[in-house]
Amino acid sequence: MNRQMFSWLGVLVVVGSMLVFASVDDGGPATNAERAYDLAKDFACPVCHGQSVAQSDVVVARNIRREIRVWVDEGQSDDFIREQLVDRFGEDIDYTPSSEGITSLVWILPVVAGAVALGGLIVVFRRWRVDGDVSATAEDEELVAAAREDQ
Amino acid sequence: MSNSALGAAAVSIGVACALAGIVVVALGLAGRRPKWFSDASLLVAVMAAAGVIAFAVMERALITRDFTVAFVAEHGSHQTPALFNFATLWSALEGSIILWTLILCGYVVAVVRKFRDRRDDPMVAWALLTLFVVCLFFFGLMLGPAAPFGTFDPPIGYDGPGPNPLLQNHILMAFHPPVLYLGYVGFTVPFAFAISALVTGRVGEGWLLITRRWTVMAWGFLTLGIVLGAWWSYETLGWGGYWAWDPVENASFLPWLTGTAYLHSVMVQERRGMLRVWNLSLVVSTFSLTILGTFITRSGVLQSVHAFVESGIGPAILSFFALIVVVSLGLIAWRGDELRAPGSIDSPVSREGAFLANNVAFAAFAFVVLLGTIFPLIVEAIDGRTISVGNPYFDRMTMPIGFVLLFMMGVAPVLPWRKASGEVLSQRLIWPAWIGAAAMVIAALIGARGWAPMLAFGLGGFAGGAAARQLVLATRRQGWRGFVGRTNGGMIVHFGVVLIAVAFAASNAYVRQGEFNLLPGQTAELSGHTLTYEGSDFREYSNRSERTARISIDGGQAYEPGIATYPFAGQTIGVPSVRSTWRDDVALSVLKFPEGANDAVLLRATIQPLVVWLWIGGLVMAAGTVLAVMPGRRRNPLLPVSAPVETHEPIDVPQ
Amino acid sequence: MSSGDEAPQPRPVLWVVAAVSVVAALLLLLLATGKPASERATDGRILGRVAPLIEGPTIDNGWYDIDQLRGQWVVVNFFSTTCVPCIREHPELVKFDQRHAPTGDASVVSISFDDSADAVIEFFADNGGDWPVLTENTGSVAVNYGVTAVPESYLVAPSGIVAAKLVGGVTADDLDGQMARLTQEASS
Repeated sequence: MNRQMFSWLGVLVVVGSMLVFASVDDGGPATNAERAYDLAKDFACPVCHGQSVAQSDVVVARNIRREIRVWVDEGQSDDFIREQLVDRFGEDIDYTPSSEGITSLVWILPVVAGAVALGGLIVVFRRWRVDGDVSATAEDEELVAAAREDQ
Repeated sequence: MSNSALGAAAVSIGVACALAGIVVVALGLAGRRPKWFSDASLLVAVMAAAGVIAFAVMERALITRDFTVAFVAEHGSHQTPALFNFATLWSALEGSIILWTLILCGYVVAVVRKFRDRRDDPMVAWALLTLFVVCLFFFGLMLGPAAPFGTFDPPIGYDGPGPNPLLQNHILMAFHPPVLYLGYVGFTVPFAFAISALVTGRVGEGWLLITRRWTVMAWGFLTLGIVLGAWWSYETLGWGGYWAWDPVENASFLPWLTGTAYLHSVMVQERRGMLRVWNLSLVVSTFSLTILGTFITRSGVLQSVHAFVESGIGPAILSFFALIVVVSLGLIAWRGDELRAPGSIDSPVSREGAFLANNVAFAAFAFVVLLGTIFPLIVEAIDGRTISVGNPYFDRMTMPIGFVLLFMMGVAPVLPWRKASGEVLSQRLIWPAWIGAAAMVIAALIGARGWAPMLAFGLGGFAGGAAARQLVLATRRQGWRGFVGRTNGGMIVHFGVVLIAVAFAASNAYVRQGEFNLLPGQTAELSGHTLTYEGSDFREYSNRSERTARISIDGGQAYEPGIATYPFAGQTIGVPSVRSTWRDDVALSVLKFPEGANDAVLLRATIQPLVVWLWIGGLVMAAGTVLAVMPGRRRNPLLPVSAPVETHEPIDVPQ
Repeated sequence: MSSGDEAPQPRPVLWVVAAVSVVAALLLLLLATGKPASERATDGRILGRVAPLIEGPTIDNGWYDIDQLRGQWVVVNFFSTTCVPCIREHPELVKFDQRHAPTGDASVVSISFDDSADAVIEFFADNGGDWPVLTENTGSVAVNYGVTAVPESYLVAPSGIVAAKLVGGVTADDLDGQMARLTQEASS
């Protein structure tokens, strides 16, 4: 058993250190091109049926990709770029629903639902454990003792 | 007889048979018609024949380019190659309903054949009744809102535009919809038996066992259909994307989620008689979601690159969906008391507990996907604003659920029923845990970074290790039969899921894209690969002309992405070219061709690692499903439930 | 779902069914009243704002700066040499430009949407029109104006505010009508 505990400890150490290593050494800061591409993925092409700016081939998307790159090269923040695009093309260009106002519901509801689900599970499990506890009562013990004596 | 007339007649016969079938089964249930089953079988046969005729007639019209049929005039063309004319049937709305109806008739015929020995069982009767109602709906669609056999008077020399060019240029178009429909429609059968169980009050395990193989097969087809769809998207649409959380994709994913939960949860009902409400709800949800998905795909309410052109079919489908929901909820509420299980779950750390948690996790997953998909509609209804919900939302929200599911895939197979002790778990999981840890180390050595993909690799190794452990134990005990049967087949399916999860994590986290202006002979570099533009070509085909650019990747073979013009459809589409290796995929598409011969081409390249493993994982899942329905070792009914898990044949529950 | 004796509780199944029914009903209502996606209009968000800067070299080697044209109406026209409505509206733009050239109260500027400079020069040589045409850095301008397709024309008032957006091709009379209407609204 002891050996197994050490084994589990080893697993935890390896896993933990790998996770820490991977989050700390994340391959260096993203290049401007990579940052621009990541941003482009998060915006909808205004004239396409459901493609992102990064995916679409049309001129509008190409123009927007180029503008994003220009802004990234200028050193603008992600929020600035988002504001600019929403300002020009409307809210529905942004694939990330805002966390203010009524759209925050889409972020909050799943968390609430998850909490309710988890809570429900805990309550149900606890109730079953309390109710379904099958253990020997005093009567049972006496029965067994009596049966043993009869042997 | 003209194609249109023949087809329309077939549809009318189908409607009539479905109606008559409902009457006949109802009479049989009321005891008024002792030979109802024979009559119903006859009606099923005629109805199926009608479905086949409608299908065959439309295909014949498409292949012979009979433009007197309106559907062919709108979607067929002399320019389209023959095989794609066959697939043109399901490239547009009315034809896709013909396909759905054909498959539905096929399933009903199979049900009638399979259950002919149980004709006196009211359960079979009610199931058949439900099936007839569904058939009536789909034949009715073809009679009314989605009538495919309208006539057209073609002027001399008329040639149709052909199907949407995006649907013409890949072989997978011939397979993805039929396989997907085999999945969707397949869930009608378990649904019919669930309704039947609720109506007859026999909500025990009987109906589950009868329909188990049907459910697994439908699920297998649905899985394969979704994977084929992703593969086809990836090959056709040019930007290296295979999954975009697009409303139509989500619509196909939702029934898969509830269907998968159902597949697992039924095991608890079989073994311990519990989770009955869950199982009934899950199977009803799965079927309802297939209808809802059909609505989303065809009504135009949500924008999508996959959607059929919107049509007037929406209200009909939505009404049917409403009917299903009302009837199902009503029946469940009515039978509420009898659905109480005889036992209860002893401990959360047990297989039952794990499957219950599994149900909750999949339900949460489905909730998030559904919410995100329809949220723009909600906001529009309340506030009048138009917003979008896309990748950033879905990725962020489903990632934790994905991790939980991966973890449970590792733990649940080794959990015994009723109660697990810490020692048992520790002993059984230590090897999978080490495999997970090793996977992370290997990934780090190859260059993986970022905690999220790293965690995915670790959990994938963990789950894969647990699956491998089960298979090793089974084959040690039973030799080759250790790969067959529900549990072992299931482990192979899990293995496929792990492959997909790892490939998904890697290809999403490490994708790189670049756009390059290249003159002939120039080279660009991206993510460790070199791309050299060699020159351009121009080719004419029967239905299109294509301009391609020859791009040599890493100094090797040249790939030829291009732009194709379909004169008859008046459309120009991009034709991507993808180089796939075990390590990564290089997807090339041409954004802009040079004006002159020696001008620059605007090339887009997307490089994603491990994409091939997505398709391999999908095929492994399909193979595992086939292995799972093959009979395994017979279960010894004398073995106590807490014995180690073994594969078993279903016990035929007597009336 | 528990074993053992206890006081009768409200059946959980009914509660769950009730909750699900409410959600399902809401969902149905939502889906039944949703507008088809294709009917959602794209709005002209630029209207009422200061015209974004347009500055750069023209195809006949001049320099264009829209801010220097305060005090007159400017028609900012986005076009492409291969788009059919653009080709159709071009003579109308010529007519409009010639109509207002004597008084100098309105002018046109064309912004190429996706063509090479050579193609644009050839187009104007073939079809006439001698107002400023920009081909460089036009993607940026298109994004700033929120252009999603061609042809689109933006009518900039003498105050420098974008007053109207016309899509799908214009006629000279359209433009004059818009100008008259807006002038009247401004003065009333």
